Amino acid sequence: MTMVNETGAGKTGAAISEFLKRPLVIALVLIVVLLFAGNALSPGFASGQQILRLLIVAALLGIVAAGQNVVILGGREGIDLSVGGVVSLSAIVGGNVMNGADIGIVPAVLACLAVGGFFGLLNGLGVTLLRIPPLVMTLGMLGVLQGLLIVVRQGIPSGQAAPGLSSFVTQPFLFGLPGIIWLWVLIGVLMALMLTRTVFGHRIYAIGSNEHAAYMAGVPVKLMRVSVFVISGMFAAVAGLCLLGYSGSSFANVGEQYMLPSIIAVVFGGTSLAGGKGGYTGTMAGAVLLVILQSILTTVNIADSGRQMVFGATLLLLMLLYGRGRAMRA
Amino acid sequence: MAETGSAKAPTPGGFKRLIERYPFLPALGILIILLALNGIFSPNSLSYRSLTGLVSTYLALIMLAIAQTYVIFAGDIDLSAGAVVSLVNVVIIVLMEKMGGGGLAVFAALGVGVLAGLVCGLINGIVVAGLRLQAIVATFATSIFFTGFALWVMPVAGTPAPALFWRTYGSKLLGLPFVFYIVAALAILLFVISRTRLALQLLSVGDDAQAAYQTGLPVTPIRIKGYLLCGLFSALAAFCVTGDTASGDPLVGGKMTLFSVAAVVLGGSALAGGWGTVVGSLLGALTIGLINSLVFFIGTPSEWQNFVQGLAILVVLMAGILVGRRARA
Amino acid sequence: MAKLSLSGVSKAYGATLALRRGDLDIEAGEVHVLLGSNGSGKSTLCKIVAGSVRPDKGEVLIDGRPVTISGPQAARALGIGIFYQELSLSEHRSVAENICLADLPGKSGIFVDRAALEARASRYIALFAGVAGEGFSAEALVGNLRADQRQLVEIMKALSSEAPVIIFDEPTSALDRAQVDRFFEILRQLKTEGRGIIFISHRMDEITAIGDRATVIRDGETIRTLKLSETDPAEMIRLMVGENSDLPSAEHELPAAGPSAGAPLLSVRNLSGKGFRDVSFDVLPGEILGFGGLHGQGQSAVLRALFGASSISGGSLELSGRSLAVANPRSAIRSGLAYVSGDRGRDGVIQGRPIVENAAPIHYLKERLLLARPSALRDKVLPALGALHTKFASLAHPIGSLSGGNQQKIVIARWLIERPEVLLLDDPTKGIDLAAKADLFNLIRQLAAEGMAILLYSSEDAELLGNANRILVFNGGAVTRELTGADRTRYNLYQAAYEAA
Repeated sequence: MTMVNETGAGKTGAAISEFLKRPLVIALVLIVVLLFAGNALSPGFASGQQILRLLIVAALLGIVAAGQNVVILGGREGIDLSVGGVVSLSAIVGGNVMNGADIGIVPAVLACLAVGGFFGLLNGLGVTLLRIPPLVMTLGMLGVLQGLLIVVRQGIPSGQAAPGLSSFVTQPFLFGLPGIIWLWVLIGVLMALMLTRTVFGHRIYAIGSNEHAAYMAGVPVKLMRVSVFVISGMFAAVAGLCLLGYSGSSFANVGEQYMLPSIIAVVFGGTSLAGGKGGYTGTMAGAVLLVILQSILTTVNIADSGRQMVFGATLLLLMLLYGRGRAMRA
Repeated sequence: MAETGSAKAPTPGGFKRLIERYPFLPALGILIILLALNGIFSPNSLSYRSLTGLVSTYLALIMLAIAQTYVIFAGDIDLSAGAVVSLVNVVIIVLMEKMGGGGLAVFAALGVGVLAGLVCGLINGIVVAGLRLQAIVATFATSIFFTGFALWVMPVAGTPAPALFWRTYGSKLLGLPFVFYIVAALAILLFVISRTRLALQLLSVGDDAQAAYQTGLPVTPIRIKGYLLCGLFSALAAFCVTGDTASGDPLVGGKMTLFSVAAVVLGGSALAGGWGTVVGSLLGALTIGLINSLVFFIGTPSEWQNFVQGLAILVVLMAGILVGRRARA
Repeated sequence: MAKLSLSGVSKAYGATLALRRGDLDIEAGEVHVLLGSNGSGKSTLCKIVAGSVRPDKGEVLIDGRPVTISGPQAARALGIGIFYQELSLSEHRSVAENICLADLPGKSGIFVDRAALEARASRYIALFAGVAGEGFSAEALVGNLRADQRQLVEIMKALSSEAPVIIFDEPTSALDRAQVDRFFEILRQLKTEGRGIIFISHRMDEITAIGDRATVIRDGETIRTLKLSETDPAEMIRLMVGENSDLPSAEHELPAAGPSAGAPLLSVRNLSGKGFRDVSFDVLPGEILGFGGLHGQGQSAVLRALFGASSISGGSLELSGRSLAVANPRSAIRSGLAYVSGDRGRDGVIQGRPIVENAAPIHYLKERLLLARPSALRDKVLPALGALHTKFASLAHPIGSLSGGNQQKIVIARWLIERPEVLLLDDPTKGIDLAAKADLFNLIRQLAAEGMAILLYSSEDAELLGNANRILVFNGGAVTRELTGADRTRYNLYQAAYEAA
């Protein structure tokens, strides 16, 4: 370690290197690099059409990650492993409520939000009232949801997405972009406003950073903690509906693929798993980054085994780029 | 909120003291209740034969829960434990098959299997403790890597284990099932490990890593050793899986990871580290097994079984945590 | 030749210099006091010696030979033991295990030798026999111990290093008089054994009682080393604070008796709860009511209970003549109470968040705000911070970029936007520097003058005597004596505190 360099050049250099260490910047740089790399490996990878497809997939992940992000920011080892189950369940419920008809979209949205909110509420109550660690509570809830999925799938047919929902997710909606992209942008803006410009947002950071101090300053800690889980459940439900629109009909356990990636997207966005630090803009970039990486690996013609190994190793390398935990010795 | 600054010194009551000494007592209580329920709904389920079956089926989860416990002691977690089970499973199957399936082949393969588990543990340890990445996400990444490796070793499930191997696992020796000898050996091994400095050091690191470091403990090597123990027991879990299923499957362990975490929590260990016992995890794994068999025995319709199991595990998790905390509060 | 010698040691964290130039010489057989206000670099210096902080520059010599301390383990091997101010204990391990943790007695290399461990630990536990308090034993879990008992464990742990040089970074902050006395006896014994002791304390009486020499550190720089026998407290404080700073007068004059008539603002009748029982008092508007006595006699417990942070088992409260029920801090705040804790890291500071967010939570609650508009917040927060002479670069800076004293000012400022009626101060100046203390007490007196009722608990008698209009002395969870008027003397305070203690 050296002393702080006070010269102008050193200052600019330090400022640039500080800037480059910001998670959002890392993610954006990596996205560009990966797009070029993908295009080199398989020409046409970075075409407008392809990028649009990637963004749709990223939006699905990103919407799940929004809820995950809020839970993680709220601290006390906040994490929501049940999002995958909620995504799957929401897709089934949505499909059955709308049953292929546009008129059913609004009731479906409401039903899905209620389902997501309900399971989020259960998670939140378990975590706050019974003080079960979030990892355990949401892990247990995941088991319940997976069992429930089997029950539901036995009892009712797998529903169909309404054409309106499908076109909202896959077809151009405004300025050539599908509705889901606009929805994601809207969520991004709302999340940013919520986290920086509302008392609710400040309180999320407060309970995530120092729960006891927040309590002593009159923050309704329990209510806040329940809220973050409800929000997470609702975002997962929205993502489930969008996923239904993306694939046309629901199939078993579609949501499972989002459980851990939603956490990784949050981490790649620069939000600390310890809570109280981070934001959603980075998470959006993290989701895009993760989706591009997966997409490159599917483009490359290698065996599934090799693809997985490369994916795992790349994730580790990226995590290293994002900076490591604090050293024991300061 | 906890209150500090009380004038009277805390004098733990008898129950509290008991739980402090034996954090797995709530788990034991739940286990006994479940055994009783099993007995009521299906007296046959408590037969010697059924219990042997239960142990041999869930021995793998027991091993994996123990594996998980050592990293959780230190405040870490290993989401790749199941992937390591898969990897070791396919590695020993392929080796045993390549080497002809004789006694020597089995032993050599088991040796390589242990080695593979240790290497995976070492990789996790280096990544989490050495490179200081977040354990949850980093071991998720290594789990993808290990799964990929397992798929490379054996792209599709189905290669059978040599008869010698699984027959031995299911055999009887001097009138007792072979798995009982494994359990006995495991008990001795756990006892020995519990007396080591490492066990105490892992718990201290999990309690407060910074404090442990400032005390002068080599925190990083200790955490890596925790992952090595985890790798070792994951390999042992893989042996049990192989003995039970008698075949290779590159994805066999995937579903076990989260159950291993649940078993550790059921056993009364704190996920945050610094507090717990391996015996508790063993009981926790058996609890999961008993729940599954109970759900079957009470005649749950097949499509409802997973749901009822999930619900029961959630309820038992909550109950265990609440009882443990009430005792400690 | 010096046992331990540091020269030109420096340490920067990013742009902040924690230690600019640390020089220090420790002789064998001396207690060497490090003097300096908080944030002056004392703890950093200690941690560098103990290996837990890596210095940027400088030289460390042990017995005249230059050494590189690569970590805490290496420091121990070089013969350095340390008591950490923030403690380095494992809560779920026993007292004995904690004492021996750094060097677990082993059998055949890998097993713990339990018998040897117990034997070694019991030697150090015996040193504090009789003063360690109820519930203290080799088998007790550290997490079940009181703050003072934990501090004793950390002391025993430092002693068990049997190192030639032992650092004690504020080892007495939670100890009672008897424990301190015993500790000092041990230190004197260590001196005769030729050990070198580094000692830090914020209590002047302790420094003069045990110290041989003192090194003053100011703004990360070693100012001077002096013999304690050839100096006096006033000079030491002058060196610590700097020549041209405003000195808070060493001898506080007794404040006036305060308002004596009128309706009480807060009435407490027969209040009982965890850690206190049957406490009754009235506070008038404009009055500063002091809570005195040995630490942990229920003062904090009463204040926290009044604020709703712990439960009340009996008794009644009245605020402005109306019955008051506090269910939690939230309802207490709504009723007009405010609470400032000395443990700002735990109870006050929202680490990693901007100054403005740290100053605003009470405003959010009282105004039932939903939106946090930066410009509106700024107008509210700036005057409150100004009232305390808070130094900060910008409201958007994280609170962690400030010194401890300034962090505490931010925490206090959050109560000044909408003023409470009753201010509960729970040892609010713990671990903050003298200048900040002066600012704080000026404000407190001003708030009282404006009609606020203030309950002040302080672990420093001088602060109580210098500010409180009336002092209730706590002992064993109950009020045993009330000091008013000219009775408010140090002698009476000590005497009441030690009665039947």
